[in-house]
Amino acid sequence: MTEINVIVDGKQETGAVQDRTLLVHWLRDSLDKRGPKIGCDTGNCGACTVRWDGQLVKSCMVLAVQADGGTVETAASLSEEDGSLNRLQQCFKDHHALQCGYCTSGMLMTATDFLCSGEPVTEEATRRALKGNVCRCTGYHNIVRAIRAAAEETP
Amino acid sequence: MTSDQLTRPAVRFTGKPMPRKEDDRLLKAQGEFGDDTPVAHLAYVVFVRSPYAHARITSIDVSAAERVDGYLGCLLPDEVEQLTEPYVELQGPPADVEVDRCLASGGVVRFSGEPVVAVAASSREAARDAAAAVVVDYTPLPHVVDARSAVLPDAPQVHEQIGSNVAFDALYDWGDIDFALENADHVIEVDELHFHRFSSTPLECGVVTVEYDAGVDTFTFTGGFATPQLATFNLAVALRHPANRLRVLSKDFGGSFGVKLNTHIPATAAALLARKLGRPMRWTETRSEHHLMGGHGNERWFRDVKMAVQSDGTVLGLSYDALDDVGAYTRYEPLGGVIWTQVANACYQLKHLKVRYRSIYTNKGPVHPNRGYSRMQHMWLVERMMDIAAHKLGFDPVEFRLRNYVQPDQYPYTTVNGCVYDSGDLPLSLRKALDLIDYPGARRLQRELAGTGKRIGIGIGSTLDSGTNNFAQARLLNAHLPFGGNTEGALVRLGADGSVYATTGGVAFGQGHETTVAQVVADMLGVAYDHVHVQRGSDSSLSAQTGFSGSYASQFAVTGIAAMINATKRLIREISLVASSVLKCEPEEIELADGAARVRTDPERALPLAAVAGIVHFSPVDLPPEVAEEVGLVARSVYRAPFELPDLDRKYGNLTLTYATQIHACVVEIDEETGHTKLLRYAMVDDCGTPINPMVIEGQVHGATVHGISAALFEHFAYDEHGQLAAGNFYDYHAATALDLPSFGYDSVVSPSPFTPIGAKGMGEGGGAPLHALSAAIQDAIGTQGMVLASFNPPERVLQLLRGLDAEKVQVLR
Amino acid sequence: MILPPIQYLRPATPADAVATLSEVDGSVVLAGGQTLLNVLKLDLAHPAALVDVHRIDALRGVRHTEDSALVIGAATTYAELASSPDVRRTHPEVADMAAGLVDRQVRNRGTIGGNCCLNDPTNNFPPLLAALDARFRILGVAGERVLRADEFFLGTLTTAVGRAELLTAIEIPALPTGSVVAHEHLQVGADSWALARAVVRLDVTDHVVTDARVVLGAVYGSPLRLSDVERMLVGSAPAALPEVELDLDTADDVHGSAAYRREMAEVQLRRAVRAAVERSGR
Repeated sequence: MTEINVIVDGKQETGAVQDRTLLVHWLRDSLDKRGPKIGCDTGNCGACTVRWDGQLVKSCMVLAVQADGGTVETAASLSEEDGSLNRLQQCFKDHHALQCGYCTSGMLMTATDFLCSGEPVTEEATRRALKGNVCRCTGYHNIVRAIRAAAEETP
Repeated sequence: MTSDQLTRPAVRFTGKPMPRKEDDRLLKAQGEFGDDTPVAHLAYVVFVRSPYAHARITSIDVSAAERVDGYLGCLLPDEVEQLTEPYVELQGPPADVEVDRCLASGGVVRFSGEPVVAVAASSREAARDAAAAVVVDYTPLPHVVDARSAVLPDAPQVHEQIGSNVAFDALYDWGDIDFALENADHVIEVDELHFHRFSSTPLECGVVTVEYDAGVDTFTFTGGFATPQLATFNLAVALRHPANRLRVLSKDFGGSFGVKLNTHIPATAAALLARKLGRPMRWTETRSEHHLMGGHGNERWFRDVKMAVQSDGTVLGLSYDALDDVGAYTRYEPLGGVIWTQVANACYQLKHLKVRYRSIYTNKGPVHPNRGYSRMQHMWLVERMMDIAAHKLGFDPVEFRLRNYVQPDQYPYTTVNGCVYDSGDLPLSLRKALDLIDYPGARRLQRELAGTGKRIGIGIGSTLDSGTNNFAQARLLNAHLPFGGNTEGALVRLGADGSVYATTGGVAFGQGHETTVAQVVADMLGVAYDHVHVQRGSDSSLSAQTGFSGSYASQFAVTGIAAMINATKRLIREISLVASSVLKCEPEEIELADGAARVRTDPERALPLAAVAGIVHFSPVDLPPEVAEEVGLVARSVYRAPFELPDLDRKYGNLTLTYATQIHACVVEIDEETGHTKLLRYAMVDDCGTPINPMVIEGQVHGATVHGISAALFEHFAYDEHGQLAAGNFYDYHAATALDLPSFGYDSVVSPSPFTPIGAKGMGEGGGAPLHALSAAIQDAIGTQGMVLASFNPPERVLQLLRGLDAEKVQVLR
Repeated sequence: MILPPIQYLRPATPADAVATLSEVDGSVVLAGGQTLLNVLKLDLAHPAALVDVHRIDALRGVRHTEDSALVIGAATTYAELASSPDVRRTHPEVADMAAGLVDRQVRNRGTIGGNCCLNDPTNNFPPLLAALDARFRILGVAGERVLRADEFFLGTLTTAVGRAELLTAIEIPALPTGSVVAHEHLQVGADSWALARAVVRLDVTDHVVTDARVVLGAVYGSPLRLSDVERMLVGSAPAALPEVELDLDTADDVHGSAAYRREMAEVQLRRAVRAAVERSGR
């Protein structure tokens, strides 16, 4: 077992992990972080997407030991401080951009990263940004609308 | 005063796009999915699976697993045979002797991926290592992977004791197709068409946690159970355990689309381990495992298809021979063998239909119900034949469909087999769909691009989403099955603080039941939307459920909501009784509005619901004894769908209560050099009667559309000649991404159902319209030089179509 | 989904990495891990140890040599390549390739070195680098060696990198003035893994093709350079290719038959040549 220290959603967390433990498993099983989800075993679905040291990654393709000393943000960090929905989350709600909710945390992380990137939020660019996140419920149409609406509302 | 006035004082929420109650927790990563739930002392189950499509197990050696640190124990096939009953089979003789258990039965594995040993350990890692250390020796047996080969006389037998690979064999013969084929102006014949194997593959794979409480000898199952009471029943039989000591719970779950109707199977193994080892057990399916056995949709071959058409374009009917490949075990099958007859006519005024339908075992993963279950296969075939007939006989594809659609003034329309289509306006729906894709503009583009290497194709997909099953149809399959009609339950109560609590018998996995229930109940009780708390998920130990409870077969908007309406009416009666005794009036004078019960003619005389609740819960002495004894503010009710038993001899009767319609239209661009299909425009028009929440409806339509598009172009659970699945994960099984799809055009038509309490129809499945529309669009692009006779059209196949594939399989006999 | 037991090691320098690889039996290099970790999840390989080189500074980043060759550290991510003004200035085709690779998340982790060392036939970079005459710097216990693409890529999932060796950098010479590069591929879906890929580079001087590189990907174990086709292109003005029939030994897979893949390679080849010709005319 290896000891790791990672700031997760703003809180310093210490864990003892096997070398083989994936970051997603540590976040979920040891920290009860429910944002990252597991939807595949080939890195395709993006349900486990988090930000690690400011970079968008799939936490099923990172070892927990690799994150030692770093900072991880999961979807649990997205809400406003008072617990209300942030702008993007609210747009997801307003545009019915989620159904079962299983892909949602990953979608929100990717969309957040995309919106912060400064890239133009066109239909095509939005769809391209979401390429690494699979949703089996919504058909993506409303997710794209929600993200574009969030971009328009950003002052 | 009518009862409508009593129950619906003011419609403030029903019919509106109310924001979903489910969303906040899901958006804040606070949902509780199957693998989220923290459980103390939890252990993990991993299955050792067969690498062979068909083999005899010669030995199992777990000694190396026992040495893995954290190993707790395992479950072997012999033990399962001693401790469990085989799962209930629906089919009659001779295939009723099939034996299906949670681990390979009879010492034989029948598909690649079949569980052979279940291993339990104290961590995920140890469970994985222990399972990897189990050594199973096999003697391979001859296998069969194609249903067409499986019916040949010398085919390997999937279940030797049955004596053939036929699980179900039925002849459906309505009208007189032989006469029609002899006398019609035109007869089109197609040798063979193929509807391929795919699945909606919910993003959350299977997961179940089983806790066994020895003190009360009770199992609690938590996970994705789409039919909680049927699961309880199946588990009780399999585990030989009283149903009253089984509790089946669902919290949030990440999609089912029908696939999670069979969670009881892995749950059985986890339960045996939980009891044996004295620890809670969790099984979390991986994506690769899900693809092997999580449940595939029915693969179907249609052979010797004949369609009779008059020279004016009237289609008289058709006949075909169906081989439905159900994989290695029947499970929910062969119900598919009758379910398709709910939509025997598809969208058309057919008069004659004759189908020989056989369910065939093969050494492949068992099929499970999958969004559009068994109906979309038949409707794809009918729609394909309509399209082929239009092309071969020179009819305009739009006019041809319009002529043959069931017309708006014909509803309620009785089909060849006695099903009653409740309402709809297909011509209007088609016109709206064509407007959304700019049909004339698309035809212009088609002409303009001719000769450029790009071809434009325009396709129409007409389909039905039949909802609220009459389970008596099971008796068409096996007259001894004790099922008939359909029920759903609901529970509504006024809590001590005046809050409203609603519990549905069903269970949701994305459909927004918490939202739609709250809309209807809030309106009926005259309270705020936020005032109604709807239970998440489901709990078999709450009395809301009935035997058929669950979410499947496009029924919640009818059964779930109707049960909730019935229960709420009861609660209103109780509230009125209490209020009238306090306000000194007759119960009939009470109306509910603004969170209070008040005298209709004198609204100042009002009692807030919190006061009603307070009196009943805390101060019943203030009530006359006859009221206090009558009133509990807990109302439970059941909705019984109005069905009768069908005529089993004629296979005739109404099998479904509602028929939502979906008309899709699309424009594709095909690259002549590669066969690559690009979707340029896609539109769908939905008619599901009176909407409860149009936003939720549109979302369901989008989702079903993408399942269909992705299935038509990308998704195929292909098996190789060795019976190995070629698309074992999301790398090889390409589920459409956002980039694969265009923005959608969407519109709706509202044809209220005359048969349901508020005119709503079930609609979640969608009926596979994109498969029909894309097949038609590709055909339209190609012309008649090749014929689209398969539902799966990847680029290679489209290129072959451009070069004449399957043209010879279609004959115009007259 | 759970990895087999494995040891994780993180050397600080390339030399340490090589030493570790040589000392620890069954150890393999972990770069971005965007394929390797999936391979492990699926139980398709069972190395004893992972030697993480992703954070070794010497393996990261890009620089130009005096003669304007681009030197890319093997552990440089796709995202870094895509966003590097230096790369875009001299080798825009490398930046474009990196920018379109897989998805946002994977681009932040996946490395060009990993892409090459894996040598999955569907990978994007091997054929491009072959067309660009890239050199591969490999560090071993005995020192460094530098290989050409045809020496580096040996077959499906196989390269010349030995057990105790490490790819440290990829060096791409400056393209001659007048050189154009075009890339075409056919994917599963709108933009997914490739069924066939073709990269064409034409070096054009005074409207005459002086040199050419024609490389196919996704049809063969390694990037396949088509010298015959190159000869057809060299010596005359840039022009579209006549019909070519390729004699390729390719295989069926879940996404298409061998015959289809072969034909698609021909289509992508023609298209890439056409695109290069158009580009040379600008």
